[in-house]
Formats: sequence, structure tokens, C-alpha cells
Amino acid sequence: MEKRKTILSGTLHLLKWILLLFLLSLALLPIVWLMISSLRTNLELQTSPFGWPRQFQWVNYSKALHMASLPRLLLNSVTVAALAVLINTLATSMASFILAREFFKGRDVLYTIFTAGVLIPVISFMVPYFSLITKSGLYNTLTALVLVYASVNIPVSIFLVTAFMKSIPKELEEAAIIDGCGFFKRFSTIILPLSRSGIVTAATFCFIYSWNEFVMAMLLTSSIESRTVQLGIKFFTSQFITDYAGMYAAVVITIIPSVVGYVLLHNKIIGGLTAGGVKG
Amino acid sequence: MKGKRFVVMALVLLIMVGLGAQGQKDPGVAKEVELRWASIWVGNDSKAPAVEELVAAYNAKNEGRIKVVIEPQPDYNAYEQKVRTSLAAGQVPADIFTIKLNPTTATFYQSNLLMDFNKVMDGAWKATFDAPSLAQSEIDGVLRSLPMETAILPLWFNMDLLKKVGVNEVPKTLDDMFATFDKLKAAGIAPTSQMTGDTNAWTSMIWFSHFAVALGGPNVWDKPFTDKAFVEAAKLIKRMITEYSTSDAVGLGAGGSGGHFLAGRTAVFSNGPWYAGRADLAATPFYDSIRIAGLPDAGPTKDFMISRLQANICAAATKDKAREEAIVDFLKFLTSKDSITKIAETSGAMFAIKTDFRPTVDLKRQFFIVAEGAKATASDLEAALGAEVTLEFAQQLGALALGRISAEEFCALVDRKIER
Repeated sequence: MEKRKTILSGTLHLLKWILLLFLLSLALLPIVWLMISSLRTNLELQTSPFGWPRQFQWVNYSKALHMASLPRLLLNSVTVAALAVLINTLATSMASFILAREFFKGRDVLYTIFTAGVLIPVISFMVPYFSLITKSGLYNTLTALVLVYASVNIPVSIFLVTAFMKSIPKELEEAAIIDGCGFFKRFSTIILPLSRSGIVTAATFCFIYSWNEFVMAMLLTSSIESRTVQLGIKFFTSQFITDYAGMYAAVVITIIPSVVGYVLLHNKIIGGLTAGGVKG
Repeated sequence: MKGKRFVVMALVLLIMVGLGAQGQKDPGVAKEVELRWASIWVGNDSKAPAVEELVAAYNAKNEGRIKVVIEPQPDYNAYEQKVRTSLAAGQVPADIFTIKLNPTTATFYQSNLLMDFNKVMDGAWKATFDAPSLAQSEIDGVLRSLPMETAILPLWFNMDLLKKVGVNEVPKTLDDMFATFDKLKAAGIAPTSQMTGDTNAWTSMIWFSHFAVALGGPNVWDKPFTDKAFVEAAKLIKRMITEYSTSDAVGLGAGGSGGHFLAGRTAVFSNGPWYAGRADLAATPFYDSIRIAGLPDAGPTKDFMISRLQANICAAATKDKAREEAIVDFLKFLTSKDSITKIAETSGAMFAIKTDFRPTVDLKRQFFIVAEGAKATASDLEAALGAEVTLEFAQQLGALALGRISAEEFCALVDRKIER
């Protein structure tokens, strides 16, 4: 009987691992395929998409770096994403503080208006944003992208950070008031540090959006000096022909910063998501 | 204290003088006109190196007077979206830009933001263009774009594979073609590269266009899509997909369709001249055996070729005379015989500007021979009916191939998308 139980438990354990490995391979397979494909020739890719390179084509990477001016575009992307995150988190943490911790008439309506932006597709803002940016003389500048990306992410950030700030016990703030803390001090020394996980989560979403965004970058810029890395990837496609191998090499290069960022911050991101979700 | 005041006053004076001087012009020096060209011929495009060289040469020749700045537009679909958005916002995307002229983009002609070339072109310049292409670019007496790149969309035969099954010539009739396809099938070779994926089911759309024109004449696109010619063409394309293509044709994209041909898995393909410039095609063992031809006789219309205006060039309308002159000057240079020959030499592309250029590479030369040999030309479905109708065509083609809808239902569904 005991032996049968051990066999059953062992089998279940084995099945669990097989299932986990299967799911892991499902998640990793596209990335592995991308990396292998980035080292193949276009003919190999077209004729046999799932093969192994006959000879590793490291030249695809040097082509990716030179042809699409990737180093410059990477720098632009880092600048745009960092500044957009900074502006977005600064604005939304202050707005969320008011929406989560202060009581005034119309607060819930204001919160709904802010967060309803999540439901509107960004593509519908194309014409207004284009008019606004060109008329304000910001067309073809990094500032245009920074402002647009920071703005587009306001609804998501307010949604996340407000939910997180609401979960902080009132007693902490009350104690601070008794100790003489004013409005700004309550925000900067009590609520802001305690909301770090929520803000990091919102910042991560904003960063990922800013890093991966393509349509607005294409619309609002026209030269290498102000373009981001996602446009660089498209340099490998023309109206009729696509250099898939070069494009995959460029994709691998461009996902590195996102992966590094996630590896460094994944504890905070997951913590922030779950905390906001449960307590909000 | 007095000294500090003096320094501050001197600084203020200096700044004011500087600012004042900024607004002044040296009457002896004319201001350089900078023209922005939103160019799709960049990056991986085969025309990019020649275009870049031409612009550099033009800028060098016109230094201090006109400067053309290329604004690279690497993704064509996003670029089209940008053009649409800019015009919707009441602005031109650049001083010079290209469009693919079809019923969708023809709506741009309603915009006064674009230059009417009829007002700035002289007879000599007009005479350098292929007259039918120029006429095709004129809508209601207005010429808001100049025909630039053209293309024919013929069939490509891998003669090595045809010879393997004892066929040494390109089939002349539809019966010959199906007989050849049956032989290929029997030998384990998929006869054609069909596809229903992407936004236009590109290679199958070309086949369908050939069938429709063969059965309904060069003006078939003026007829309702429920016309007998389209229904018969739909039956033929269904047969091609279900009987004479690879098993993955339903849902397949252009990359996959071309990949089958490149791998030698399919014997007949359909695409434009740009595909002949691919390095991976040149590396195939059958490159020299490819024959370019029209559709074998399939109906009352014979010896025709499917062709399209691939890229038309537009310019921003301007009241600034100097800017307008600069735009015209550059476009005259770009569309000159010498410039077009240079671009054609490196890319193998075909243009609406008359030149004596003929490629030295046999495959590329065949396109020119086939185009010149055609007794009539007709547009393909996308060029004739626009992007939205073509999208519906592509979406319903899979359902037709899978037998979910009949040819009549297929045509009725596409017909609903045509704006009359």
C-alpha cells in the first residue's frame, strides 16, 4: 500500500515536471527560434524555417548595428523611455496621492475620467497628437515622443498607483499629521516611499510601452536623430523585400535592455502587481 | 557697484544686438531652400543606394540654393498610415513623398495640399513620361501625383522543374497548363505557390487578376464583382489553391509563398520585377532557368499583361514661388532619363519614364521583353479596386478555398465592399 502511494506520488511529481517543462518550452521556444534564426541566411529561413544554421551568420549582427544605425537609435530609445517614465511617474504619483488619500467632491468622477483612458485605443489619438505636436513645433524631436509616451500611460499608471496608495493604512498618515507633517511631507516621506512597489510597476509598464512603441514614433519623427529603435528594426523591410535574418538580429539586440531591466526589477514588478491587485 | 551695472548693461546690449542681427538677411545671399523628401526607397530597398547617390549629387550641384533631405520611411504600411494621418490633420507629410495610386489613395487628390503638376509641367517634361501612366495619374483634370515606378505582374516558371516532367515550353493554353500541373503533381512537385494570408493574398491575387482580365477583358474592373467573369475567375483560383498548390496555401503569407518557390518546392510563382533582384533568388540553382510569361490563353482576352503604377510621386502645394521652383527643379532631375537609368540599373525596377535602359541580367530583361510584347495591359485587383476591397478578397479567399462559401457568394461578399 505504502509502495503504491510512493509510486503514485512519484508519477504525479514526474507528470507535474513534464507539464512545467512543456509550458516552459512553449514560452521559450519563440525566443530560442528567434536567436537561432538571427544566425541563419535568408535563403535558409525561407526554405526551411525551423532548421539549424549551416554556418553561423554573425555578419547579421554587424549588419544590424551598421545598416539601421542601431547604436544611435538605442540611445534615443533609452533617453525617450527614461524621460517618459520619469515624467509619467512624477505626475501620476502626485495625482494618485490626491485621488487615493484626499477627500473632495467629484474625486471618484475624476478618477473614472483619468482611468477611462485605458479603454480608448491609442490609434484614435493619432490625428490630434500629430496636429498638436506639429503646431507646437515639436515634430521630429525626442521631446515629442517623451511627452506623448508619458501622457498615453497616465491612465494605466494612475490606475495602478492609486490602487496601491489606497492600500496604505490611514493610521500611518494620521500619526505623521500628529507629528507635524504637512501636505507635502506626508506625500514625500510617508506615502511615496511606501508606494514604491506600485510606482515601479507603473514605471515598468510605461518603460515597456515607450520601448516597444512604433506607430507614434513613425508618425511624429522623420530622421535618425529623433527616431527610436523600433523604427530601426523596420529598416530591414522594404516595400517588397524583407531581410528577415538582419531583422531578427536587430530584434535580439533591442530586446536585451528590456530583459536586463526585467531581470533586475522582476521582484518589485511582481510584488507591485500582486499587492495592488489584492489590496486595491 | 557702478562697474557691475556697466557690465550688465553691456551684456544686455550685446544680446539685443545679437537678437536683432538674427532677423536680418544679407541681401546679397539668397536663402537655401530645404526640401524634405519622405522616401520609401531606403534601408533594404534595392533602389536606395542609387537614390541616395542621386540626392547627394543634386545637393552638391545646388549647394547654397536647394538642399534635399531624405527622411527615411522604412515600413511601408506605417508610412501609408502617416500620409493619411498627415493629410487628415491638414498637413503634408513632407515636401515630396510617394503614394501607391489606387482608389483608396486617389481621395488624396481632393486635397489642395498637394501640388497640381498640370500647372507646373511643360510639354517637354510631360513627353518624357509614358503617356498611359501619366493619363492614369490624372483624375478629373488634376495631376496631383507623377507616375514614377511601374510594374508588371507576370507568372514565373521554373523550367528545370517543368523539364523534369517532360515539359520544355511555357504552356500556351489553360488546358496545357493544367496538364502540366497534373504531371508536376504526379512527380510530387506542387505546381504553384498560392496564398490567402496577409492583407492582399498577394500571389493569388495576381493569379485571380489574370483570370478575371482573360475572361472579362481589360476593363473587367468596371463591372460589378458579381459578373460572370469574376465568378469563373473565383472558381479557377479555388481550383488552383485546392488542387495545384502547397497544402499550407490557406493562411500562408507572401514570405511563405515565395519561400516555396525559392526552395524549388513549387514550379510556378507570381510576382513583380523587384523579386528578380533578390540575392537569395540569384543563389538558387534554377535562377537561369526561370521564364517570365503571361497567363496561358484562358478566355477571350489574349496576350495581355497585368500592370500597375507602383509608386507615384507627390509634392506639397506652396505659395512660396522659390520653394515651388525648387520642388519642380528637383523632380525634373529625379525623373530625368539619366537619373531613372541609374536607379533602374541597380534595382531592375521599371519606371513610367521612357528610357533606353534594358537590364543585362536575363531574368530582369525578360520583364521588359514581356511588357513590350503585351498587346494590352490591365490593372490588378488591388490597383483597380483599392486596399479595402483587396482586404475583403483576401479574407474571403480562405473561406472559398475551404469550401465554406461558393464562388458566387465569394464574389457577392467582395462586391459589397466596392464603393460605387
